[in-house]
Amino acid sequence: MDFLALLLKVGFHRAALARYTGFKSSPYTEGALFYGEKLVDAGLAEAISAQAGQLQPEARQAGQVECAPGST
Amino acid sequence: MTEQEKGLIRQGIRSKYVQVATAGTACCFSYPTGLEGLRLQGYPLELVKDFPAGILDSFCGVGNPFSLGPLYPGEAVLDVGCGAGFDAFVAARLVGPEGKVVGVDATPEMVARAAANLAQVGLKNVRFEVAEAESPPFPDNSFQAVISNGVFNLTLDKEKALREAHRVLVLGGRLLLADMVLVSPLPEEKAGRIENWYQ
Repeated sequence: MDFLALLLKVGFHRAALARYTGFKSSPYTEGALFYGEKLVDAGLAEAISAQAGQLQPEARQAGQVECAPGST
Repeated sequence: MTEQEKGLIRQGIRSKYVQVATAGTACCFSYPTGLEGLRLQGYPLELVKDFPAGILDSFCGVGNPFSLGPLYPGEAVLDVGCGAGFDAFVAARLVGPEGKVVGVDATPEMVARAAANLAQVGLKNVRFEVAEAESPPFPDNSFQAVISNGVFNLTLDKEKALREAHRVLVLGGRLLLADMVLVSPLPEEKAGRIENWYQ
């Protein structure tokens, strides 16, 4: 599953891939910075988690971030 | 993935980081490490200018999680996959003596290296423990921030590790995470190889 979608699924709010870092561990992988917050309102966190599946296509466009073996 | 494959992956990752703990970062990374890596990632070097060279050399992060937002004096911070402790030391300087930092790492040799480094820098608000990202041994709502640098890509259960990071954060707490992501598909001959996890 997309890493951003995972952040949303577990309840993080304002989850984002902020930027890439330029560090490459292989021709196929690069460092990236992710941010998330734990919502003050637990009820809202559940609502976001429930919507995570619907947000996957947008999250993928943000960086094509796959959770493949050996990568985030 | 079979249990045998998971065991091989854990063994491979541990072997790599035992080597990093004993031989240093020069053995194992294809991107800039140490002081060069710190400069390139925009670390606040003024905070660590008094650290011994060996501790600066131990940095092998893939990014600068501190660039994602501030840590405030007095906060409690968890460093998931602390390695030799460099980011934990930076966090300790940022949160100050009223704050605290806990670093956890799955490789006991890395925790031992972090503890040895801690003795050199003399910070009193940092401690290290052996623990996996999927099972940090802390109560709910314990930390204002969770930081991590190049670690979640090594976790076998990423969802559980993220869920745990969320659990230990206080309400309103922040996750500041640097990690490796795939930016192009692996070629067919490389896809699915266990060695991908620790090469």
